[in-house]
Amino acid sequence: MSKTKARSNRPGVRASERRGAAAAFSSVASLAEVTADSLEAVLAKIDGEVFRELNLIADHIETLRKEIVALQPSRMHRESIPAAGLELDAIVSATESASNIILGCAEQVMAANASDPKRYKAFVDEQMLAVFEACSFQDLTGQRIGKVVDTLKQIEARVARFAKAARAEDAGKLQRAARLSTNTQEAIDRIIDGRKRG
Amino acid sequence: MNGRDGASMMPVDASMPILVVDDYKTMIRIIRNLLKQLGFEHVDDAADGTEALAKMRQKKYSLVISDWNMEPMTGYELLKEVRSDTQLSKTAFIMVTAESKTENVVAAKKAGVDNYIVKPFNAQTLKSKIDAVFAD
Repeated sequence: MSKTKARSNRPGVRASERRGAAAAFSSVASLAEVTADSLEAVLAKIDGEVFRELNLIADHIETLRKEIVALQPSRMHRESIPAAGLELDAIVSATESASNIILGCAEQVMAANASDPKRYKAFVDEQMLAVFEACSFQDLTGQRIGKVVDTLKQIEARVARFAKAARAEDAGKLQRAARLSTNTQEAIDRIIDGRKRG
Repeated sequence: MNGRDGASMMPVDASMPILVVDDYKTMIRIIRNLLKQLGFEHVDDAADGTEALAKMRQKKYSLVISDWNMEPMTGYELLKEVRSDTQLSKTAFIMVTAESKTENVVAAKKAGVDNYIVKPFNAQTLKSKIDAVFAD
């Protein structure tokens, strides 16, 4: 029971006062009803918007999940990248081995006794043949480098697709297209000589 | 080729001790052979900056020919250590490296490198840079 009604039922309260209190209570009740109706509409609208946003987020998460699956991260981690690393290791090993063979041949030729031209010629021919054989590393390393480049291209394509799906953008300004930043010996000489002349 | 190279330069002392620093044994072998062809017979080597610094504190070298990328101490760090050490600071220092980016060359120059050779290089380039360093 409200305080107004309780007070109006008290003994000694006049009838006119009781009628007035009842009318005020009715107005308040009506106002509360209208307010509740209005709030219900607002809340229904907010609920709808939140629901739509949550649906969009869920869709986005689902898209990202599919893109992550398409990235094949496990395969990249377990196969592609380690395989590329092994190819590079093999390249280092092959070039080192070839260099050592060629250096060994050159050192032997330079140290060889040339007093007997016929024997010296035969020895040099033998060493040069070994040099030619050692140079076959170039073909093997070329093939291996090709595989590594293929792996990098695949990773690049997948990451680019994922970035597009995730609507990810580079932080800050876009970087310039990659290029080899190298100087020739002449350019380096100009930099070094600049200090000495200055 | 360096503009200061030429017949007017003082002949380089072929008996001077040289320290070659590179973590790649094949490269040390190549440089040793090139130096031998140029007449330099007193050549030692080290596999990185730390080993080089230790050798330089035991023996006086006239020239250090160093690679850049080595672990744990790089050629660049070795150069800075050498230049900051009063006993070693006058040692001629040539960087021989595949790092040909301008920022690397400028950094080496600021650190006090005497010359800079980019790999791959030939005997003539090595000779001209050694001549240029000792002509200064």
